[in-house]
Amino acid sequence: MITAWRIFAASWKHFARNLWIGLATVFVFTVALLSVNVLIGTNVMLERVVAFFEEKIDVTVTFESGTPEALLTQARFYVQSFPQTASVQLVSPQEALDAFKERNKNNPKILEALSELSTNPLGAQLVIKAKETEDYPFLLAAVRNPQFQPFIRSSSYDDHRTAITSIEDAAKSVRLFGSGLVAVFSLFGLLAAFNAIRVAIYTQREEIAIMRLVGASSAYIRGPFVLEGVWLATLACLFTAAAVWAAIYFGEPRLQQFFSGSDTGISDFYVQNWLTLFFSQFAVMAGLSALVSWIAVGRYIRR
Amino acid sequence: MIVLERVSKTYHPDSVGLDDVSLRIEAGELVSIVGQSGAGKTTLAKLLMAEEQPSAGRIEIGGWDITNIRPREIPELRRQIGVIFQDYKLLPKKTVFENVAFALEVAGAKSQHIYDVVPQVLKIVGLEDRAHRFPRQLSGGEQQRVVIARSLVHRPKVLLADEPTGNLDTLNTQDIMDLLVKINAFGTTVVLVTHNREVVNALRRRVITLKDGKVASDVAHGKYTLTV
Ligand SMILES: Nc1ncnc2c1ncn2[C@@H]1O[C@H](COP(=O)(O)OP(=O)(O)OP(=O)(O)O)[C@@H](O)[C@H]1O
Ligand SMILES: [Mg+2]
Repeated sequence: MITAWRIFAASWKHFARNLWIGLATVFVFTVALLSVNVLIGTNVMLERVVAFFEEKIDVTVTFESGTPEALLTQARFYVQSFPQTASVQLVSPQEALDAFKERNKNNPKILEALSELSTNPLGAQLVIKAKETEDYPFLLAAVRNPQFQPFIRSSSYDDHRTAITSIEDAAKSVRLFGSGLVAVFSLFGLLAAFNAIRVAIYTQREEIAIMRLVGASSAYIRGPFVLEGVWLATLACLFTAAAVWAAIYFGEPRLQQFFSGSDTGISDFYVQNWLTLFFSQFAVMAGLSALVSWIAVGRYIRR
Repeated sequence: MIVLERVSKTYHPDSVGLDDVSLRIEAGELVSIVGQSGAGKTTLAKLLMAEEQPSAGRIEIGGWDITNIRPREIPELRRQIGVIFQDYKLLPKKTVFENVAFALEVAGAKSQHIYDVVPQVLKIVGLEDRAHRFPRQLSGGEQQRVVIARSLVHRPKVLLADEPTGNLDTLNTQDIMDLLVKINAFGTTVVLVTHNREVVNALRRRVITLKDGKVASDVAHGKYTLTV
């Protein structure tokens, strides 16, 4: 009990009396964490851009005019029943006509031609959104089954096809490249941080030998170093959190310009995930620096 | 107290520290170990504090066979023998008081005990007014006295001193030697490795001379000689 307290107190005293080397280590930790967080933030924004385009995609199936109401409703339920479907909207011929008129309100010729017709030439439309872009071909094939096929006049999928596939490709490579980069940066950050610990402990190898000389057990020598590693990691995580917060607070309004005023998604992301992010970074940093301290001190405990 | 039976220490095949050394040192003795550079004096000290393991033979301290001591038992041994070196080996970031207290803390001593004992031993070495200085603020002689104070907190049965006065001038040397003699008078066995002719001759105690890792002479009331 008294020993646990002494190890705890020693870790703080040690930190205070070796302030510079401690702060230098915290600095390296913080830079490592920051570079990882900058990458995470960039990734979130890229994801957001991709999602923005993905959202714009939909597929419109236009039915022949005069298709029975019951069949339209049936088609809608049918499409809705697939797990791949995000939403299905049924646009009645009248709504389609209104939308058409609205789009062409500055084109009197078209409107004139339209008014000469006694009936509504437009058919009903199904506007389908899939959860994943890859699912559009499947949903289209599904709706074009023999039951509905005779009533389908056209589907807009083919116009979108190239856009859909290129966005899909972009999204895939953004995700792959992004997570690869985060992994590489995390690795280098960790290596830099742990090298900083090793150097800090190397400078104290004499002290470690002296402690051993006067009868300190290896756990008693390691304890303060291990705890100090945890304190350094804690400080670095707090500094990083403060820096990330400040960057979002001051930086996001500027970034929004590039998103033509719409949300960058960064603050949302951090508001939702800060707990996980903070504690996972803390756990990795604290756990590994404790482990590295333990091992590094052990190298100087000969016998 | 201390028994070496046919002890050898071979660092490498061509680097021999001790070669077939047998000796007994009784409780309460003050023994000087002398010999030329490379004769094996430090090797002997390191074997006694289990910093090195003998290549052959048997070592016993106070009835404890430390020949094959396990690393986890070494701290316990170190708490029973005080060690003093030429370079003072104080913790630079701890005060005099903390340096001495540290030797008690590692053994889990109660705080009250530490506050009782540390001033006592600092008084023995005459440094009670330096308790809150850091080692770099002390002279060499004072630092060595702190080391002695630290080695005394456990009332060790054996005090092992490897050239404790190697870096000190005559006056400081005299102070340290007076301390060691005093400590010996209270019953602690003292093993003193030294190059200092005057010190050995003034003691008029047992002198063991090592040469090329072997015991060249062992005289009960000896003088400092290198050639036997
Ligand atoms: N760690 C080591 N590795 C290899 N050889 C060593 C090691 N330590 C000592 N030796 C060798 O063992 C022999 C005895 O060395 P030791 O240090 O015991 O001498 P010493 O009597 O203390 O000398 P000095 O008076 O110079 O301190 C020397 O030949 C030395 O080179
Ligand atoms: Mg030596």
